[in-house]
Amino acid sequence: MNKTALSMEDSRAGPACILSIGGRIDSGNAADLQDRLNKLILSGEKAILLDFKEVLYLTSAAFRVLLVATDEAERNASRIVLCGLVGQVRELFEMGGLLEAFTVHGSREDALARL
Amino acid sequence: MPLPQTTLIVIRNNVADLAALTAVMERVGTEHGMPEKSLFQLQVALDELVSNVSKYAWPEPNAHDIEIRITARHDGVEVEIIDDGRMFDPRDAPKRDKPPPGQRPRPGGVGVQMTKQLVDRIDYARIGNRNHTTLTKLCTLGPAAFGERK
Repeated sequence: MNKTALSMEDSRAGPACILSIGGRIDSGNAADLQDRLNKLILSGEKAILLDFKEVLYLTSAAFRVLLVATDEAERNASRIVLCGLVGQVRELFEMGGLLEAFTVHGSREDALARL
Repeated sequence: MPLPQTTLIVIRNNVADLAALTAVMERVGTEHGMPEKSLFQLQVALDELVSNVSKYAWPEPNAHDIEIRITARHDGVEVEIIDDGRMFDPRDAPKRDKPPPGQRPRPGGVGVQMTKQLVDRIDYARIGNRNHTTLTKLCTLGPAAFGERK
């Protein structure tokens, strides 16, 4: 996996749209994630699962996108949930005081079972 | 390679230039056997502060240089960020308030809050018209580090 690039791939599981994110999210590419999430929300997706399992690196630019997108989703009667937060990436969510700000599930399977 | 050793990189106040800084930091850390977790944490802290400088240090959109000096020592890595933007001491950044119950936190200030936890020390001096912000991450470097690198 390219450590300096952001990858995003969406798939579907029943009513849920899953966006698998990989690589790096920083101030140089956070706008790309923001655009992708906006498109999903505005296209009418009501349950969006963001899988962070393949994310290797992120900065607070990612948190800004997630906070804005989660608010936007709520305004559109949609919801965003997260899974796959592990290791150093999870520690950054903790340091930022943001684990409680989002609905976070341990695995994709857990998340899908609750959506 | 004898320590201490300093590497200098100058980038523009453009977030696109951060990739070059990331590559240099990665190379310095790897060359000196910096533990992976320490390197990751220093990279994020550096990214946060340099992004802040790029976005907020100058009121007008002109190009400015940001100088970064990375010094590898036996007991850690020191990164000095030098810019001629408005005065900003990250140590003085206000602590973020907890959001009221049921409300989501606002995004502002998360980067500086994280930076304070990611490094062992932050020093700051305003010298002439320039900010000198120094991040220190303590860890074993040099020959001793390669035996214990995780």
